[in-house]
Amino acid sequence: MLICDEYLTPASLDEAFAAMERHRGRYRVVAGCTDTLPWAREGRAGDVEIPVLIDVTKIPELNERQIGDKRVRLGAATPIQRFLDDAALGRAMPAMPRCAVWFADDQIRAQATLGGNVVNASPAADATPCLEAHDAIVELASAKGSRSMPLREFITGPGKTQLAEDELVTGFECDALAGFGGSFEKVGHRRSLVISVVCLAVMVKLDRDGRTIEDTRLAIAGIRPVPRRLREIEDHLRGKRLTGELLEEAADMPLDLVQSRSRQEYRRDVVRGFLVRGLIAAAKRAGASPDALTQELEAAYG
Amino acid sequence: MVDVRLNATINGRKVSRDAKPHLRLLDFLRDDLNLTGNKEGCGAGECGTCSVFVDGVLMKSCLMPVAKAQGAQIDTIESLAKSGELSVLQKAFHKAGASQCGYCIPGMVMAATAALRANPFADREEIKERLGGNICRCTGYQKIFDAVELARDVQNGRVPATALLETDTADGEVIGKNVRRIDAPSKVSGRLKYAGDMTMPGMLHVQVLRSPHAHARIVSIDTSAALAIAGVESVITSADVPGKDGFGVFVHDQPIMARGKVRYVGEAIAAVAAEDALTAKRAVAAIKVVYEQLAPVFDPDEAMLQGAPVVHDYAPDNITKHIPIRVGDVEAGFAESDLVIEESYSTQAIEHAYLEPEAGLAYVDHDDVVTVVSPSQNITHHRHMLARIIDKPISKVRFIMSPVGGGFGGKEDMIYQGMLALLAMKAMRPVRLVYTREESIISTAKRHPSRTTLRMGVMRDGRIKALAMRMVCDGGAYGLSTEGVMRKAAILAAGPYNIPNVRIDTYGIYTNNTPSGAFRSFGALQTQFATESQLDIIAERLGLDPFEIRRINAMRDGATTHTKQTLGSVSLMRALDAAEQASGWEAGAPTVRGGTRGDLGHDDVRPSVTLGTRFAATGTQEAAE
Repeated sequence: MLICDEYLTPASLDEAFAAMERHRGRYRVVAGCTDTLPWAREGRAGDVEIPVLIDVTKIPELNERQIGDKRVRLGAATPIQRFLDDAALGRAMPAMPRCAVWFADDQIRAQATLGGNVVNASPAADATPCLEAHDAIVELASAKGSRSMPLREFITGPGKTQLAEDELVTGFECDALAGFGGSFEKVGHRRSLVISVVCLAVMVKLDRDGRTIEDTRLAIAGIRPVPRRLREIEDHLRGKRLTGELLEEAADMPLDLVQSRSRQEYRRDVVRGFLVRGLIAAAKRAGASPDALTQELEAAYG
Repeated sequence: MVDVRLNATINGRKVSRDAKPHLRLLDFLRDDLNLTGNKEGCGAGECGTCSVFVDGVLMKSCLMPVAKAQGAQIDTIESLAKSGELSVLQKAFHKAGASQCGYCIPGMVMAATAALRANPFADREEIKERLGGNICRCTGYQKIFDAVELARDVQNGRVPATALLETDTADGEVIGKNVRRIDAPSKVSGRLKYAGDMTMPGMLHVQVLRSPHAHARIVSIDTSAALAIAGVESVITSADVPGKDGFGVFVHDQPIMARGKVRYVGEAIAAVAAEDALTAKRAVAAIKVVYEQLAPVFDPDEAMLQGAPVVHDYAPDNITKHIPIRVGDVEAGFAESDLVIEESYSTQAIEHAYLEPEAGLAYVDHDDVVTVVSPSQNITHHRHMLARIIDKPISKVRFIMSPVGGGFGGKEDMIYQGMLALLAMKAMRPVRLVYTREESIISTAKRHPSRTTLRMGVMRDGRIKALAMRMVCDGGAYGLSTEGVMRKAAILAAGPYNIPNVRIDTYGIYTNNTPSGAFRSFGALQTQFATESQLDIIAERLGLDPFEIRRINAMRDGATTHTKQTLGSVSLMRALDAAEQASGWEAGAPTVRGGTRGDLGHDDVRPSVTLGTRFAATGTQEAAE
């Protein structure tokens, strides 16, 4: 049970910083609360008494969404469901709707926020590999000012980030990748409400004929302490002709990705299958030429 | 504590009132507004019994601090049939028989409402996806999906609205007919009150102190600090039991709270009744217990060894129950067999995971009748046991069975009703206890984990000549239903097969694990898992069709079982025929066909599990591609 004496909902960043200053050492910042409330239960943190909860979801800056040609800026309180409801956002971040449909369930993703998923820094977080594939920059602010850093520097380990005590994550700046095809592969014990055993974000951009990979982005999570961008695979694929052999070749690159404590062999099999399947799906959504990939390949990895 | 002044529109009415800042929206709706239609099944966002609309968007109210509802429009299950007329979806749930225990149904109806609002033409796969956040343990979901499809078709005019009301019955005939359940309207509307939904004036809230140790002597319990807390009315321990303490379905070996020692992690030690649950929680934390650790035993085979820690003094060998069955001459049967196969099997503990966690309400009425309202699956037995425990004549003890939000055997044990009765007697006020999901899992019975060694002798033509089985079950810390489970496991171990020579031994063993108890099939699963698996293995070895080896050995009408029961009619042959047909089974031994089997890869074989049907349905992303 999460017990508090006061629940504050600041309407602006200044109000939030003032509350954080006033209750220094006695507060916890919350957003969607979909991780915090289950955390404060028996078997995990148990009954937790936190004098003040500061809910940042009503701060306007944290709910912004700007889509430019090059970059997308999203407030930290963006609910995951927005990636399914906002078609323009889905076009600029093509793997994100696919990720969102696998994220918790229809109801929780209406509450859960992008910022919460990142600050929580679970190795199995679903949204972080997508953000990583977009070269996301994390925007941080405190009463003293603001700073930013790449997501890959921000998350330092399971549950660990560079967030300072008096700081808030205000938003993310991501590459706009309109024109890419996106896919998201995830496996767990069931479909909904499941923690990823492996999850993979894939985006592919093809030439006009749908035969050559112009650009690609891949990032994986659930198999190591922090998400990992797969730049070696991206480099291997970029500029090459789209064929089944190429995709299998990429999946077979000896990268030793799986660093999990359990089920390593299973995860290695899954990673290989996901790489090929994710690339096929993303390439198809990017407008792959119908004869570029064989039916047999699709059936084998379907 | 600074209250939240909440202004919101709830089910169409303006609400303006103060709420404690730590409340979740679910607590506020259920406890402060008495809107108990939406339930709490897990408190962790996993089950969906608490789903409500917040500004038209379905959310899990157990994951939402009440302050988040500021200014919002909240709609609960009560909003769907506000005038008393059920919505199309609710009628469809009634028609399709989609509600069984009913506890998941308010949330399920809400999720289905949200699904059809999001896509009025959603196909079955998309409906499944959109209901993915809601769990049901009774139906297997198919009737729920049937109901949503029916409602969809009625709403879209593809099926007339009269389809919601049609029944197969004519002239009051019901047997063998598809009838609508008479209890469904109360469930689909959320109006049915489960024990955790009930309140009484002056009611106190109960919390339980549980053992962190698997096996320890209780040196002392000091409740003085707990009693000193304002708002705490009563604290009880086993010292407060006036009569002969002990309950259980067969052997009354379990005190209503640990007496002298604890035998498993999660065992109740003391209980507190206070003005509110938070105060009761704080009082529980203030109870001081001094333990002296004892060596625990967690493995039933180890518990049977000489010198193992003894869980109950009355059973120095840790055997709760041994059931032996002897028919014919097993060794002679093996000797004449063409093939003898021995294998080992094990099954694990399983939690029932009914959607309704245990809950109960108790009070002493005006005639001094101690009354307990709870979803007990065995109230008459509980009544007799409780009368002895609280030393009252049976006429002064009453049990009322509240709607059972799923039981599956898990609510047969009087695991908390004794504490409620004692607290009601001590406080002379109504008391209510509502378990958390975690409490339900840690403290109540599980399916018996088992280890089985099975030896079977067969002739080349498939006839079984002899069966010898030894099964050891982990009964956990208390007897509960172990004796009955061992009995039924033994009775059904040899399956519905004519076997002339049989030797069966089932053992229920005390350990310091969570007690095992009743669970659907009551022991038959464990032994038949072994027997049926073994038949498949033997069919493979003999080159026989798995259906055929069962037909060869099947009991027929008039057969006599291994325990000398004569069977008037045996439906096994019909069941085998139906299973063979429904599975599309290709006759023959399961040995050689591999990937060439004709019964694989058909249209009715489910594809691999994925998500994302909605993309094709709505085109939200596809439009961009």
